[in-house]
Amino acid sequence: MTFSLSDHLVPLQRNIESLPMQPGDWLIDRRFAALERFERIGFPNRRSEAWRYSRVDGLLKQGFVAPSQRHAADGRALIEPHELQIATAGRAVFIDGQYIDELSDCSAAGVRVTSLKAAMASGDRQVLEAIGSLSGLGDDGFSALNLASFQDGAVIHVEPGVRLDAPLEMLHLTTSRVQGCKLPTRHLVLLERQSRAELIERFVTQDQQSAYFNHQVVEISLAEQAELKHKRIQLESRQAYHLSDLYIALQSKADYRGVTASIGGCWSRTTITNRFIQPDANCELDGLYLVGDGQLTDFHLDVDHQLPNCSSWENFKGILRGSGRAVFDGLIQVGKGAQKSEAHLHNANLMLSRHAEVDTKPQLMILADDVVCSHGTTVGQLDDQALFYLRSRGLNEQQARALLCQGFLAEIVEKFEHQALQALLNRQFNFVTSEVEQ
Amino acid sequence: MLSIKNLTASVDGKEILRGLDLHVAPGEVHAIMGPNGSGKSTLAHILSGREGYDVTGGEVEYLGQDLLQLETEERAQQGIFLAMQYPVELPGVNNMTFLSESMNAIRKAQGRAEIDTLSFMKLVKQKARQVKLDEKLLKRSVNAGFSGGEKKRNEILQMTMLEPKLAILDETDSGLDIDALRTVADGVNQLRSAERGMIVVTHYQRLLDYIEPDRVHVLAHGRIVRSGGKELALELEARGYGWLLDEVAA
Repeated sequence: MTFSLSDHLVPLQRNIESLPMQPGDWLIDRRFAALERFERIGFPNRRSEAWRYSRVDGLLKQGFVAPSQRHAADGRALIEPHELQIATAGRAVFIDGQYIDELSDCSAAGVRVTSLKAAMASGDRQVLEAIGSLSGLGDDGFSALNLASFQDGAVIHVEPGVRLDAPLEMLHLTTSRVQGCKLPTRHLVLLERQSRAELIERFVTQDQQSAYFNHQVVEISLAEQAELKHKRIQLESRQAYHLSDLYIALQSKADYRGVTASIGGCWSRTTITNRFIQPDANCELDGLYLVGDGQLTDFHLDVDHQLPNCSSWENFKGILRGSGRAVFDGLIQVGKGAQKSEAHLHNANLMLSRHAEVDTKPQLMILADDVVCSHGTTVGQLDDQALFYLRSRGLNEQQARALLCQGFLAEIVEKFEHQALQALLNRQFNFVTSEVEQ
Repeated sequence: MLSIKNLTASVDGKEILRGLDLHVAPGEVHAIMGPNGSGKSTLAHILSGREGYDVTGGEVEYLGQDLLQLETEERAQQGIFLAMQYPVELPGVNNMTFLSESMNAIRKAQGRAEIDTLSFMKLVKQKARQVKLDEKLLKRSVNAGFSGGEKKRNEILQMTMLEPKLAILDETDSGLDIDALRTVADGVNQLRSAERGMIVVTHYQRLLDYIEPDRVHVLAHGRIVRSGGKELALELEARGYGWLLDEVAA
């Protein structure tokens, strides 16, 4: 490995010291604490169970550095090809990891979409206190480094009782200028009591060849009876490394429904940590992944029921081609006090190639006795009978395979609700599944 | 239109068809009857191109070409339709999407224009009413969670939509109550025409009360042991297959 810890620490320390700070600034203290934590634990390795199947040496060898130049001038032209045919109530646009003011806006009353940097600079107390409140200093070296070094991000805040009809959008675009760079960002999504919102997040790229490391930490907090539908589509460059850490905290009767599609990148990892901090909340996590040659996709879910009457539903489905690899590690814990919990955890994999590999580990740990829980996993291939049936109706083999692959993922695609998103996803499937593999 | 000569075929080395002859002309409905294990379904599957069967001898000519050289989808594109005994469930694949893709694949292969969405919707709803298939099932996944009768109606719906030149019905009557049987038979009868050939494979005579065949063949031990008019079916109903098998053996 060409990397050493000191390569990171010195510039980071300087970086933190150069940030605007006031004496006793709480966030600066946290950043130093996170740096210390990183110094202690370093980057994860395969000895830790959570990283057993996802090597990081490839990522570390790249020696990604902070970007020196800022984003390209004409952002509007850059994002134009990625505009969705969906009317939104507001959006935050990032180009190369930087929040772009001119392209970000929010017209809805009672909703704030702003840059995290701006909120920190203005000394916004609610924002400053929320940063790191769910993630802690970081479970692993990556998240600790993120807290120590992030420069920007987005804040989405919905006031009590505000119920949005149109979705909010977060667009993360990378250009060829980030070749060789790491892009740590951090986002806060705060829904006050009885508010309702939908957030569509996409990771797209201008350059399928550029190698970079996109790492975002998202802290999502839903107050009593708040509802958030969160849709995420990861279409990074095929050479990119992507790491998303989502931390969700739900108060009483809050309802979080998240669905993620992981399609791009050569290495993509998503961790979702959900905490029920009051009873009677609901958390639904769905996901789909497509991996092909030279790709690894990794999902880690950690849902902890310690209070009664909460429910969680997790359903992840993936299609693996070529030498693609996937990891699914889902854990649901139901503690002694979590009576009347409902928890379901499922993972299904469709292998289109015998060179593909999946490591799947759904785990349910139950200590309470009055609960409804299920978990399961499947790994299978396209069904010959189904293929024959379709071909006997005039579809050629490619069409038949594409239709069956689409069918396999249909229940997850449905969760994206908007036709524009579903069409975007289905186009990806047609492209990748029509080829006949051995 | 279809000419099968001395066809022999085996599955996993076990000989199932042992020199089968059958000739179907346009406009004719042929019933193939026979006891279980006589090779009826094997014949239907070989004609539609299903994998897993070794044709060891004989020939099958369809519209002047060697049928056995064609891929499954090419056969469908050239007008062969198999209504299956056990229609496959396709979770997540929308019934209407499936039907329109299938219809357009066939039209495209035949050099015809694709059907537009509106005409398709109108047609599929009309045909669904005809075969008494609940319209709601059009919006569901293909056959997933359908009852036995619904699956068979769905097969007949596909058949009426795709308008094949040669329709093969493999035990379409199995598992149907009398009302469903009648609906299925009505669907088939409406498709009868001077240009279309049909092969109706069945174990029981009762389907033939509703679909009147031009010829009835008895398949036993992998070959056709007796052919006749529709009265042969009645005789089989009355006497079973035993006497015929004894006669053949003798």
